[in-house]
Order: sequence, then C-alpha cells, then structure tokens
Amino acid sequence: MGKYEGDPVWDDVVPIPQDDGEGALAAIAYTDEYAEAMGYLRAVMAAKEYSPRVLDLTEHIISMNAAHYTVWLYRASTLLALNSSIPVELEWVNNVALDNQKNYQIWHHRQILIDHLYDSMSSDPAALKSLAESEVAFMTEMFNEDSKNYHVWSYRQWVVRKLDLFDKGEIECIETLLRQDVRNNSAWSHRFFVVFSNPKYCTPGSKATEYDPKIPGEILDREIEFAKAATFEAPQNQSPWNYLRGVLKKGGRKLSSLECFAGEFVKIPEVGEEDIKSSHALDFLADVWAQKGENEKADKALTLLGDKYDRIRKNYWDWRRTSLK
Amino acid sequence: MAVQELSLDVALHIKYWHRCLKNVLPTGYTSMDSSRMTLGFFILSALDLLGAGAETFPEDERANIKDWILKCQHPDGGFCGSPNHKYPDAAYVDVGHGKQTMDPANLPATYFAIMGLSFVGSLDGVRRDDCLRWIKGLQREDGSFGEFITQDGVIQGGTDMRISYAAMAIRWILKGDYDSSKEDGADIDVDQLVKYIRSGQTYDGGIGESSRHEAHAGYTYCAIASLKLANRLSKSKDSEPISGLTNVDSTIRWLVSRQTGYTTESDEEEEGDAEHAPAVKLQGIYTEEPAHEDEEFVGFNGRCNKRADTCYAFWVGAAINMLCQEKVELLDIPAIRRFLFEQTQHRIGGFGKCPGDPPDIYHSYLALAALATMKEPDLKPLDAALCVSIQQKEKIEQVRKAALV
Repeated sequence: MGKYEGDPVWDDVVPIPQDDGEGALAAIAYTDEYAEAMGYLRAVMAAKEYSPRVLDLTEHIISMNAAHYTVWLYRASTLLALNSSIPVELEWVNNVALDNQKNYQIWHHRQILIDHLYDSMSSDPAALKSLAESEVAFMTEMFNEDSKNYHVWSYRQWVVRKLDLFDKGEIECIETLLRQDVRNNSAWSHRFFVVFSNPKYCTPGSKATEYDPKIPGEILDREIEFAKAATFEAPQNQSPWNYLRGVLKKGGRKLSSLECFAGEFVKIPEVGEEDIKSSHALDFLADVWAQKGENEKADKALTLLGDKYDRIRKNYWDWRRTSLK
Repeated sequence: MAVQELSLDVALHIKYWHRCLKNVLPTGYTSMDSSRMTLGFFILSALDLLGAGAETFPEDERANIKDWILKCQHPDGGFCGSPNHKYPDAAYVDVGHGKQTMDPANLPATYFAIMGLSFVGSLDGVRRDDCLRWIKGLQREDGSFGEFITQDGVIQGGTDMRISYAAMAIRWILKGDYDSSKEDGADIDVDQLVKYIRSGQTYDGGIGESSRHEAHAGYTYCAIASLKLANRLSKSKDSEPISGLTNVDSTIRWLVSRQTGYTTESDEEEEGDAEHAPAVKLQGIYTEEPAHEDEEFVGFNGRCNKRADTCYAFWVGAAINMLCQEKVELLDIPAIRRFLFEQTQHRIGGFGKCPGDPPDIYHSYLALAALATMKEPDLKPLDAALCVSIQQKEKIEQVRKAALV
C-alpha cells in the first residue's frame, strides 16, 4: 500500500492516475512512490485545494522532481493562501537549492517569497537590511559549492535591484570571489552590472554595449585600474581583457588609450624573436592598430596569433586579416 | 598521436538511439519528467539524422507515437511537457465556474511536441489557431516570452532567449516567417521581440539572459536562431557575415573564443577539480603564457573560463554557421571532430557531457547536431536554426504550404 493510500489524512482524495497510453516516448521508470504522489498532486490541483497537507505533498514531489514546472507555483499559492511563515519556507528552500544546484524553478520561487516579505517590511529599513544580509549570506553558501552558478547570479542581480544593493559592500563581495578565482567570469560580469547599472549615476536603461556619458571619470579610472591589475596577475585570462573593452565603450574612450598598457605584454622588435605574454593583449593591439590605420602592424599581430600564439583560432585570425584591407 | 581517419559508427549510434526509443528510461531521468517531449524530440530527430528516422518504423508505431503526443495537447492551445501534466478530458470542461486550465501548456514543450509530430505523421492534429493565439498571449510588453499562463491569466516562467526561440520556431512551423502583426493583430509582435533580443548583448559581445547577465553560448544561439526564424538576420551582400545583432563582430569574437584547447595530461592532473583556477600569485608575476604548442584537444565551453562540454559544440557551431551564412569557416572543424569522436563519444554509442562521462540523450543529440552542422558525411545535413535535418525542414515547409492553401 502506498504512502498516501494508507494515510487516513488523504482518505477523501481520489488520485488521478497518469495516462501514458501505447506510443509513449521517453517513458521513465517512475518509482511507485513518485507515481502515487503525482496522482494525488493532480487531484489536489484539480480541486484547487490549498491546505497544510498540500505543502507536505508538494515538498515530497519536489524532493523527487524539483524541475516539475507547476508544482512550485502551486506550492507558492498554497503558502500565501495559508499565510504560512515565509522565513520557515526560506530555510527549507535553502536546503533544496543546495541539493539541486542546476534547478531554476527554486530561484523563481524564492523571488515570490522575497517579494512578499519585502512588501511586509518596505517601511522598516532595519528589517530590509537584515533581509539583504541573509540573502547575501545564503548566496555565499551557494557560491562555495559553485561560484559560477548561472541561476544564483541571475537571482543575485534581481536582489541587488530589488533591495538597492548597488553599494561598496556588493563590490567587496565580488572582489572576494575574484581573489579566490580571478578567472571567475560570472563575478566579472556581475561587477560590470553593479558598476554600470547603478541608478545613482548611470543613465537609466543604458545598454551594456552603449556609451553612457553620465558615468563619472573617476569610476571609469577605478575600473580600468582594477582590470589592469588582474591582467598582470594572469595575462592569459580573457575576463579582464573583455572587461577593459567594455569599460572603454561605456566611457566613450578609445581602445588606443590603453595601447601602452597592452604593449607591456607584447614586444615585437624589428629584428629577433618577439616576446608575447598574452594572446589577448596581442588581439587588443591588433584592434588598436587597425583603428589607427596601422594595418601592417595589425596584420603582423593577427599573423602571430594564428601561426603561433593562438593556433586553435587560426581560421578566425586569418579571416580578420582579410578584413583589414 | 596516430593520425587516423575518424568516422561516425552509424550502426552503433542507431543502436543507442533505438534503445532510447524502445526501452524505459532509468529512474534517474525522473527529474526530466516534465521534459519528456524534449527527450522524445531528441530521439526522433537523432534517428532521422542517422538515416533511421520514423519513416522506417512500422506504421502502427508511428500512429501510436502521434496519438501519445496529441494526447498531451492542452484544450487552451499548446502542449504539456509530459502526460504527468495532462488531465482526463472531462477535467477541463466548464461546469459553471469558467474554463478550467488545470496544469497549463508549456511553451518549450509545445515546440518539441510539434517537431515530434512532424516526424511521425502530419501536423493536422495540432490546433493551429488556438496554439498561435496562446503564444501571442505569452508575449510580454518588453517583447520576451513566458513559458506558460496560469488560470488567473498571469504569464509565468523565465524571460530568457530560450523561450523566445521556442516561440519563434513554433511560429515558423505553423505560419512561416511572414510578419502579419500589423494586419490582423493575431500575430506576435515581431519588432518588439527583435528589440528585446538586440538588447540582450553583453559587454563582451555574447548574449545572456539579458545584457546585464553573463554571456552564455546557449542563449547566444537561441537569440541568433530566433532572428533567423523571424527572417531578421540581415541578408549578406557577399562573404561578409552581417546580421540584425547589435554588434556582430564582437559576437563572432565571443563565439570563436569559446574554443578551448587542452591536453589530456593536464586534464588528468586536474581530475575532479577541472574548473578550479590555479592559485592566485602576487600581482605583477606572470603565472602563465599563451600556448605555443598545438593543444591536443579543442572543445567548446559555454562561458568564458569554463571547461569544455559536448553540447557547446552545437550552440557555438550552429550560431557561427548562421552568422557566417556558411561562406567562411571560422572554426577548427577537424579539431572539433576529434574532441567529439575521441573524447566524449561513448563506446556503447551516444555522447557524454565531458570526457569520460556516460552518454545521455541531451548531449548525444547535440553532438550529432553539431557534427551535422559541420556536414559530417554520414549524417543528414542540419538546418542550424531549426536544429533538424534540412530534409525535415523542407518536409515541414511542404506540410505548412498544404495547410495554408
């Protein structure tokens, strides 16, 4: 006898079994436990029942299939209908998230919960501050498992905007992660978002690839210095090189303003062997020289990339050479 | 390493896919229960690419598969991702409390269901107008699409490029790339969708969930393929790859940067810890140098500084294929073939995610799709935007033409 079938609490519910028919594609060897629980879920959803036992049932199903696309919404509706404790739910969700690193639905569920909490405390700065702290603390726990988890980073952006965390603390969090792994491109991307979407000084709605005249010069300088330092740490790390290009674009500055800096990694003497510390610096200089019309130098850089320093992209570098003329 | 002719063992892979078709999948697939339409599509399309498609099945088998897919069609339009989301017909009947949505249809599932039907029969069981109306209802003001609509009319699910792609692919199958939004109001707002996609480009040239997020090869593919299916990737004059993206040169740079070289020796050393960066040294000290020697294998990652994974050979290869209109070859195809054949192909057939991994349906399909995009001789050539064989695409076009006459 199944868990629900034998439970007097569920006596009044007639489960709705799954009808797979004959031509079933991708049939899965469901456990009896899963098949039974799903039958009861369909029944309570059909009856639009929002009760404490539905919370138990949805928790059980999520433990077996966290990617079910409607069970989470149904659970959220039930929680709100019952006026259940959101902090208790958050604690449970934390554990589910830690156990299901790849799951997306959990983070949507979390947004619904935080939205609800926020509305109840929006006039209490101390409560909001503590909410922000606990969210950041939980994400740190997630990042300890996988510091490049896309869902967590997406959620983090949402939290930053929702709770207005465009501050020094957020930048410091990113720097801590980059100190652990300077190649963490997710952290670099998040930094770009925090610095160049800050409502205090950015043009609202300015796209990531657009010049924004409102960005203060000292912020551009700070970001350039930060990325430069990271390239010295690991010259072959593409993240800060991409970041530099992004910052220059945002600030309306020319690539050539960093020609000298990129030249630190690239020595091409008239005679003798060249000394290249970073293929990304060479790529950067190829663009600088092409923009300045120094096509011969650009061509030399692209040739070196294709023939020697980045051979796996030879086709690309050769194609870039053809577009110089 | 010995130079040897690499070729696809077609019989072995057909055997793998037949097992997926006929056998019940292990309990471990339970977390994909809501995506059974997706798995079904991969199985049918993989067999098609291998030349053992549904037309070789007994007629009753095709009919049964068709019935199974149609059984997942939702009364309000669209399809559910699995029979687990579908109720007996009587449950949806309006008994005086309004129409009952129950568990709603899902947009990506609908794309895979309609594709699946195209392999095993016709599309005449698809309630076309309901489906297109339902999709229009899934579009948000910013141009993006949600995954499903709840009983109370709220658009739910993610906002990312994958969902827009599913919407555009279904629209292409059911009505082509003709934009009729200005005429009858029944079509989705293509201009708004294009605007949304164009705004998704990130500072490093790729495309993310939005321009504020980290660029990701899967989203980049979906964005480009959506434009392609809407006929909004600009026509090229000559061999120049141009497109409706904000900055196509930087997108191409970002895409080719996804090729990542490695040698198996260093891979073994890093086993279990492959994504971990070397310890950070003091500032000013060079910890590494660009590669002078040829790296043994070249795979693709989905984001900067991540490890190679089979599926990105498709997401990146197909994206480049669409941008370059097949006139220039920017990727190192022999290297990609070596990565797939020697590193992630499994001896029982199929492909795994990373070197040494067991095969799974998702990575096995995308590996075949990647090879087919690059014109692997033993596979049917692939249409990069629709992710099925060109032959299948043409079949769908004929079905559509017949239905619209």
